[in-house]
Order: sequence, then structure tokens, then C-alpha cells
Amino acid sequence: MIEVSDLHKSFRSGEGWIEALRGVTCHVPKGRFAFIVGPSGSGKSTLLYLMGALDRPTSGTIKVEGFDLTAMSEAEQNAYRRDKIGFIFQSFNLIGNLTAVENVLVPFLPRGLTPELRSRAEELLKDVGLGKRLSHRPRQLSGGEQQRVAIARALVKDPVLVLADEPTGELDSRTGDEIYRILRELQARRQTTLVVVTHDRRFITPDDLVLEIQDGELMNGEAKEPNGDLARVASSS
Amino acid sequence: MWTFAWRNLATRPLRTILALVGLSIPILGVLGLFSLSGGMRNLVGATLSQIQGAMILREGQPSPVFSDLPADLADTIRKVPGVSAVAPEVWKIAPSVEGQTLFGKTVKGLGSGGGSSQVARSLFDQVVIQGQDIVAHQGLKSAVFPKAMIKGPEGGRFLLPEDRGKNRVVISSKIAHDYPDPKTGKPHKVGDSLRIGNERFEIIGLYNTNSLVLDGVALMDIDTARKLLNVSKDKVSSIYVEATDPAKIDQVCENIEKAAPGVDARGVNEILSNFGDLMDQLDHFLFATVALALMVGVVGIINTMLMSTTERFGEFGVLRTNGWSRSNVLTLVTAESAYLGLLAGIVGFVLALVFTTVANQFITSTGLKLTITPWNALGGLTLSIVMGTLGGLYPAWKASRLVPMDAIRLGTR
Repeated sequence: MIEVSDLHKSFRSGEGWIEALRGVTCHVPKGRFAFIVGPSGSGKSTLLYLMGALDRPTSGTIKVEGFDLTAMSEAEQNAYRRDKIGFIFQSFNLIGNLTAVENVLVPFLPRGLTPELRSRAEELLKDVGLGKRLSHRPRQLSGGEQQRVAIARALVKDPVLVLADEPTGELDSRTGDEIYRILRELQARRQTTLVVVTHDRRFITPDDLVLEIQDGELMNGEAKEPNGDLARVASSS
Repeated sequence: MWTFAWRNLATRPLRTILALVGLSIPILGVLGLFSLSGGMRNLVGATLSQIQGAMILREGQPSPVFSDLPADLADTIRKVPGVSAVAPEVWKIAPSVEGQTLFGKTVKGLGSGGGSSQVARSLFDQVVIQGQDIVAHQGLKSAVFPKAMIKGPEGGRFLLPEDRGKNRVVISSKIAHDYPDPKTGKPHKVGDSLRIGNERFEIIGLYNTNSLVLDGVALMDIDTARKLLNVSKDKVSSIYVEATDPAKIDQVCENIEKAAPGVDARGVNEILSNFGDLMDQLDHFLFATVALALMVGVVGIINTMLMSTTERFGEFGVLRTNGWSRSNVLTLVTAESAYLGLLAGIVGFVLALVFTTVANQFITSTGLKLTITPWNALGGLTLSIVMGTLGGLYPAWKASRLVPMDAIRLGTR
């Protein structure tokens, strides 16, 4: 599903350069729930964003379902993000002047909305327990409700991959549990591959794939698969 | 996406209103100035359309008031092919009427609290004396004033040969109203005495052309006018000429200029054309002035849109992560600024309508009428949308250039 090979990413910072990722190589099988864990500034979010084609690596390759993201043109990357990937952010990132349904439909706004798309968005909001909040604006929703709208937005395009960056980082633990319950339920039902960046290891179950990053390097050269085998997670070079 | 763009403006009402004010004022300026220019064109056009013949002046003089010609030039012109009637005239600004000069009347207008409208009226109210060769003018077919005499006994009569050499005058009802009888304060009527300079004149007739320019003329015999205005017997100001075939007046003018070097023969078409050129130049000047204000308005839009886009980096990042292309983001931000331009255009148009309606209340007596034509309104609106769109292009380009990952990170800081 996701094949990351010898991935490097450097950022300019003032006079110098910061190496956010130093030769990460890993594999996430299709339909898995994977976590990227590690301390702040270790490169977790950078790896996640590169998987979502939100930026280009300095070197290395990322393949999703066989498509090399690093070789894609900008238009192809736009289409990839539009059709294949769902994003969930820590701070929800809903658009303030759009209703819950409209926020879910954001990916389709440039091409125009159809009644079918609208009913699909409404169904998804019902799935995440917001059937009675369809016309509410973000400021009228609690943090947990906003994150559920963000989950619906990530899933509305029926993506092959959902990427979540600290999805419970701004929620209390009870709401966080609820968000993970929804994520796991939807992931199991749709068999979508889900990669989550988190600090909070209490949401990780023994069945999950864990990629541990520190200082831009993958620390667990071996990640445990549910059957006890070792996942094909290569160590950083 | 267009609804989304519209809502983005609505969610920041104060900033939107400030940007609107910045652009709508110059649009008001554009529409107001062009309505004034159009009003002047209409006024002069209405005046000139009443004149069928041609005016012979000294070359280079803009008006008969400033022109002087030898009186015997009339004989030369009579011999020019195509000329059917020749009527010499003396034109000068009246020294004073009922003791009031232009300066005195303007100051009085200010002193009485009449304000700028009174000043404007005073400037247009200036009386001009036209002394005409009565017999020669009776031979004209297109004379304006005899046809404009007020019907009935209150209108009196026009000048006749027996009025030659006598202090008799025909004035407009406007002059009668603007320079009332000093004893009664009521408008002058036929039979009253009117003081022009140091002479007293009997009012024998009242006319009304409904033209700001023509209704400022007091008509009298040419020799009486020469005496009043100190013009020698061998001089005239201008000569009014009619052609045998009015359609060939331009050809007749050319013939006159060939026969009498140093004179300028102007048919109505030429006068209208010259006036049109003058007004075109005035329009260019006005537009250059307003362009400066427009630039300030556009800078206001750029500032507003830059602030708006800088605050919304996170939002653009979200849009990009959801598959929006750079051009989608560019279109969104440009649409917002185009909407701002459209709104500013509508507000400017409404303000201009209010301005012209109010202004017309104060200047109706001048004959000038300010109107905003549909073309002017459409032009103002288009200009406003274009300016708004241009103002949004740079912020839109800046927003569209953001790398999605950077936009998300900048937006969540």
C-alpha cells in the first residue's frame, strides 16, 4: 500500500538547514491502522504530510498503491489529494463560514456540488453522530463534534488512505476515546488504510502497526504485525 | 465556490465596509464628474441646436463677447456665394444691471447664506448685451429670440425698426426674475424700467429659450448698444449669416473664410465639434484626477485582501490538502476581490444617484441637469469590478503559491 524508501527531507532554518527526515524506509500494508509515534520535532508530521503529497521530499520515494508521489506533477498531486487521500488535523481546520455539510463537501466545491454528493455528506455526518447538526457552523459545535465533521470530510471521497495528525490533541480524554472509536469503526467497515501521528500511546492496540521516529530516523527497525510476525519495516539507513 | 467567496467577505464585515468605502468614493467621483460633463454637453447642445446659421468672429476668439470686426465686413460677406442673410451684432458683457455686477452678485449670494449653489447661479446669471441690426435681423429665417417670445400681452413684443436709437430692451423672463425691481422686489415686467450701467431702458418684451446661455442675453438696437458699451460705429463683434441652403452652411463658412481672411466662420457643426473636443479634454483631465483616487482605492483593496489572505493561510492549506489546485485558490481570492469591486461599484452608483438628485435641486435654474446615463453607470460598475479584481490579484497569487504543508503549519501557529 504505502512504500517509503530512503526518504530525506530538509528545511531551511535561518542560515542553516534542518534535517527533518534522515533516510526513512517503511511499508504500511493496505487496510492497516498504523501509528507514527515519537517526541515533538522528531519528524512524525513531516513523514505524514509527505505521504499525503503536501510537500516533496528532498530525496527518496513514496509509493501509494504503486503510484510514485515524488514523480507526480503538481496537477497529479492535486488529483491524488482530491480523490485518494483524507486528512484529519489536530485543530480540526474546519472553515468557519461553511456549515457542517458544506465543510464535508469542501473537496468538491471547485467542481460543483450535486444532490448525490450532498446526500453522501449527510449520510457520513449521520454515521459520526451529527445527523442533527448538519447546518451548524463550526463555532456552534464542540471540539469533538468539529473533529467528527473533519473525519466525515476525510471520508467523503471514499479515500484509499486517511492521514491523521494528532486527531485528539485538542480534545479531552473522553472525547478522544470517542474519536478513536469512530475512526476504528469506520476503518474496519471500509477497510481504509489509516496512518495516525500521535503522542498518546494509550490508543495503540496490539494489532496496530507502530512506526517510531526519533530525530528523523525510524527507531523500530522491526514493527510487530498482529500475527506476531515482523512487519516489513526497514530501519533508517 | 462563488457562494463561498461571497461568504468570506460577509464574515469580515467591518474590513469589507472599509475597503468598499475606499473604492466607492472614487467611483462616485467618476460618475459625478462625468454626469457634470454630460450635463454641460447637453446644455450647450440644446442651445446650439436652436441656431441654424453661422457666426463670423475674429479668428482665434472664443466668443463674440471678445471679438471685434470692421462693420463694413458685412458688405463683403453679402457677396459670398450661398449667403442669403447677413446680420451684424455687437456683443459685450453688461456693465451692471440694476446696479449689480457679477462680482457684487456673487458676494451678495455668499453673504445671504446662499452658499455654493448661489455662487454657481450668479456665475451663470451674468447678463450679456446683444445689440442687433434690427432691420437685418428681421430678414433672418432662423433667428432664435423672436420665436422664443412669451405669448400674450405679458410677453410684449420683439424689437422693431422704430426701436432704433432708443433705450428699449428685450430680456428673458430669467433676467426679469434675477434682477427684480429694486423698489418692489418683484420680477420686472413689460413696461418696467431696467437700469443697465448708468442708463435706463424700457422693457418692451420678454422671451424664454430655456437655455442657460441664451437666457442671459439682453437684446437692443445695435447703435444703442454701441453707445452703452462704448463701441465705435465702424465696429461690430460678430456677424450672423444664413445660407440659401441651410444644409450647405459648412461650405458657405469655407467660402466666407476665403473671401475675408482673418475671420473665423463657425457653423453649428463646427462649434459643436470644437466644444466636443474641449469637453473631451476636460473629461481626460477629470479622469486623470479621479484615477489617482482610484489608485488609492485599489491600494485599499490590496491591503484588505493581503490581510485577509495572511489570516487564512491555514484555510488555504486545508483547501489544498483537499485537492484544490493553485488556480482554484487563485480564483477564490480573486472572486472575493471582484465581489468587493462589484459592491463598491453599486455603492458608488447609489451615492452618485443621491448626489446628482440633490445637486439638481440647487442648479435647476441654471438649466444644467446632471444625469447618470446607463452607459456611465455600466462603465463605472465595470471599472469598479476591474479595479477590485486587479487589487486582489497579488494577494491571490501569494495565497496560491503556498506549499500546502507550510500553509497548514503557518495557519496553526
